[in-house]
Amino acid sequence: MKLKRLFAAVLAAALFLPLAAACSAGSQKKGLGNGWEPQSSMELAYAKNFSVDYYDGGYKLLSLSDGTRCLTVPEGKEAPDGIDADIMVLKQPVNDIYLCATSAMCLFDALDALDSISLSGSKSDDWYIDGARKAMESGKMTYAGKYSEPDYELILSSGCRLAVESTMIDHSPEVKEKLEELGIPVITEQSSGEEHPLGRTEWIKFYGALLDKEDEAEKLFSEQAAFLDKAASFEDTGKTVAFFYINSSGYAIARRSGDYVTKMIELAGGEYIFKNLGDPEKSTSTVPLEMEEFYSTAKDADYIIYNSAIDGNVATLDELIAKNNLLGDFKAVKEGNVWCTSQNMFQQSMQIGRMILDIHGMLTGEDASSIEFLYKLE
Amino acid sequence: METFEKDRRARYIAIVLSLAAAFVLLIILNIRLGSVEASLSDTMQILFGQGGDATLRSVIWKIRLPRIFAAILLGGALALSGFLLQTFFGNPIAGPYILGISSGAKLVVAIVMVLVLGKYQGTSTALLIISAFVGAMISMGFVMLIARKVHRSSILIVSGVMIGYICSAITDFIVTFADDASIVNLHNWSRGSFSGVSWDDVSVMALVVICTSFLVFLLAKPIGAYQLGESYAQNMGVNIKAFRIALVLLSSLLSACVTAFAGPISFVGIAVPHIVKALLKTSKPILVIPVCFLGGSIFCLGCDLIARTVFSPLELSISSVTALFGAPIVIAAMLRKHGRD
Amino acid sequence: MDYFFHTDELTVGYDGKPLIKDIEIRLEKGRILTLIGPNGAGKSTILKTIAKYLKSICGAVYIGGGSVAEMSDAEMSHLVSVVLTQRMRTELMTCAEVVETGRYPYTGRLGILSDDDRAEVRDAMEIVNVWDLRERDFMQISDGQRQRVLLARAICQRPQMIVLDEPTSFLDVRYQLELLQTLRDMARERNIAVVMSLHELALAQRISDDVLCVKGENITHYGPAREIFTPELVNELYDLRDGSYDTLFGSLEMRRPEGEPKLFVIAGGGTGADVYRGLQKSGTPFYTGVLSESDVDCRIASALAAKVVTEKAFCRISDAAFAEALELLQKCGEVVDCLSAYGETNSRNAELFERAKKLGLTVRRAEELV
Repeated sequence: MKLKRLFAAVLAAALFLPLAAACSAGSQKKGLGNGWEPQSSMELAYAKNFSVDYYDGGYKLLSLSDGTRCLTVPEGKEAPDGIDADIMVLKQPVNDIYLCATSAMCLFDALDALDSISLSGSKSDDWYIDGARKAMESGKMTYAGKYSEPDYELILSSGCRLAVESTMIDHSPEVKEKLEELGIPVITEQSSGEEHPLGRTEWIKFYGALLDKEDEAEKLFSEQAAFLDKAASFEDTGKTVAFFYINSSGYAIARRSGDYVTKMIELAGGEYIFKNLGDPEKSTSTVPLEMEEFYSTAKDADYIIYNSAIDGNVATLDELIAKNNLLGDFKAVKEGNVWCTSQNMFQQSMQIGRMILDIHGMLTGEDASSIEFLYKLE
Repeated sequence: METFEKDRRARYIAIVLSLAAAFVLLIILNIRLGSVEASLSDTMQILFGQGGDATLRSVIWKIRLPRIFAAILLGGALALSGFLLQTFFGNPIAGPYILGISSGAKLVVAIVMVLVLGKYQGTSTALLIISAFVGAMISMGFVMLIARKVHRSSILIVSGVMIGYICSAITDFIVTFADDASIVNLHNWSRGSFSGVSWDDVSVMALVVICTSFLVFLLAKPIGAYQLGESYAQNMGVNIKAFRIALVLLSSLLSACVTAFAGPISFVGIAVPHIVKALLKTSKPILVIPVCFLGGSIFCLGCDLIARTVFSPLELSISSVTALFGAPIVIAAMLRKHGRD
Repeated sequence: MDYFFHTDELTVGYDGKPLIKDIEIRLEKGRILTLIGPNGAGKSTILKTIAKYLKSICGAVYIGGGSVAEMSDAEMSHLVSVVLTQRMRTELMTCAEVVETGRYPYTGRLGILSDDDRAEVRDAMEIVNVWDLRERDFMQISDGQRQRVLLARAICQRPQMIVLDEPTSFLDVRYQLELLQTLRDMARERNIAVVMSLHELALAQRISDDVLCVKGENITHYGPAREIFTPELVNELYDLRDGSYDTLFGSLEMRRPEGEPKLFVIAGGGTGADVYRGLQKSGTPFYTGVLSESDVDCRIASALAAKVVTEKAFCRISDAAFAEALELLQKCGEVVDCLSAYGETNSRNAELFERAKKLGLTVRRAEELV
């Protein structure tokens, strides 16, 4: 019995460690720590998870919502003295990047900055972005193992200078620790945590600041913002949409209400069928639902968009119903209003504005050929 | 000394020397091979001198050597744990995880991943390691409670298996509330890997494994007595209750350590004792214990080398490789045993 | 009197349930105590309690002055060694290694044997005659050989008392005798107390100094061997119905054939033994005579014949005996003659034979039947 009490104590103590760590991480430090004041800050319309401060001399301080801060130093210059110890220093031009955040790839592509990436966390076949695939096939970008088990030797020996990871890395903390131990700074990009869909797209400005391509970034973002403004003029169609997929255990995995996908639907003039699904405090974006519970609410949705990104494509209505017979009773299925995402949706953060238009097109019964990121199930 | 004894001694020496040679060879191969090739002269310079290519130095000192030590320590730990449990249960397919240790570890890791990561941004490796260890120890605690009441070893195995199932069931239950990321990561964790081991990890591992292994070696005498069965062991002065608890405790510590740092790695604990006994042609604990440790280290060094180089940069799951080599061995052992009966 | 081994109102059983109550045994060193009795849990339970495998329900066991319950396992190992009959499963152990484990109470931390230990092991193995098997794998020898190796193990443990559970069960007759002889030698030469259970009555009678009879839940008798091995006691202990036990020779006979005999056997001096047993096998009841009371055939006949006509030991056949035999002869239709030679005391049997022929009985020689 004594043994058990000891275990409980150890477990409790062990659980307090990250609480303490997390608390301290939450408080964002301000300034460089050496007394310098920023000249200006980047204006951000929708993004909340990063900020960029501009300092005299061309230095830029990029701060992320998880507490990470890095300072870009212009070519030929040195880092200023006396800055805080936790700030990572990156000398311009920033290249030899190991990119594991798939959603960032299209941003790099749009900025025409693919050659600053030397290592990728996905194999060439897994990229839908042509530029990326070509770079991998030509050998300019090398596969370095997936994010949870990278080939450290390859990364180290190829002279990698920066690793850009997605939040998946939080589940494999030892990878982050190992990379840092090897002297490679790690940025965990937080775009997946953005509430507003265009907040995700606005991250192009983060990379623009990193890569000294702010102007291109601004231009591209404005394009998408324009799509959004167009969408703002749309009237509410009053149609309801269910966005989900069925996993291997038979559960329906839907989006949390307020998540960026549901916001896209709202912006497109539709209504996400679940009003208060999930806990807004939690950072998880999906909510698993037992099929019957899902059925009771979603069966009346006017439209279904099936999320093929995780589960794979569904080609016909029959294939969909084969996943669970109850789906045959859904209004959207009976009326033939079932659409499916083409797989590359999550890799295309740059096209969010366009995607919103697509959803609107679906809702207003536009010709399917003009819709790029969705296709209709027959 | 009689000829028979002389032959045996010669055999033991030959086997130990061959294993030692294999050990050294595998260490050298593991240092030299990988995504970056290291020549013999480079290796010598980096290991024993200064200078040499800085990147290669980092690769060898920061990536490969910790990994090699992990494979040695954890491989040995698994083999010893398997040997202890096989002797204790008299069951040739008993392994380190027969008492539900890895399921307990996985359960607590799942809890931590789902609950803690859900609320906060990240965890540290230390947290996951401690969670796995705590989970393993809790499973072991239950088994110990049962070991006190129950006198038949077969019932102990059944309890261990049942605890394993219960833990898995609860883990599945928790996983339903998890998001995809957690599920994927839990799955990755349970595949087992030596990747990403740091020197800090190695120092903790070394402390636990070496101390525990030494204690196991000190148990060589009662284990030898136990090989005749519990009744005779008791008659020779072995305190059966205390012995049983010590055995469960030590083997659980060893397998918990492995699970905590590298995830569950199957088959090493089951297969290596069989190989060692077949080579040495004896089951004398005082000999088998150290040779098992050596054998386990060699097995893991070899499997890890294959896992990380064959499909580089993709890493095979170490459990798949150990199963690939380990399962045929276990089958052969079974056939041999039943062929005799 | 200070006994080396004794029990005090000992009650034994499993799981707190008493099986046999109030056991009082006293045994000196150098003496052999055997437990006999029909099959059942009793004997094993007592032995297991003595050897500290089971807790006594109440009462105590004392060995060498100390109570077993208060002794540590280590102390016990210097006092008592055991030979059990359970199924053993060793892996890759030679016979020598099995015997070597008997030295564990005397070896150091890691159990490494000294030269003295090795000498003891060799000694023990030679006493039991298994030294030749020392390099063989323990699992690959016969059950009987294994039993003897285990005895060697028990001996080299240098105990002051050995407890054995049915040690002769797997042995053939040669090794049964050898094993028991070894126990007797150990008891005498090394002053060891021996407590064992035996199935074979004949052996028990010959080897034991003291005997404890266990039947069901009771100790029916306890005492020196000569007091225990009486026909009445044995019959009662084992509920003999289909046979009988001759306590003088310790031999067994099968059940007496039933019915009205029609056959008379003339025998004596051991010539009738095979005929009697042959008739028992075919279930044929018979009369026999005239046999001297000291005659070997008489002992067997008294177990198997419907009636035996006897004459006092060392005397000539009297008229009374002759008459009795003739009377029985007249009831029969057949006579079997086993005798081929006659001496002074039984010459009248020849006369009996002539009378039988005259009566017209079918005459047969013993050789024809057997």
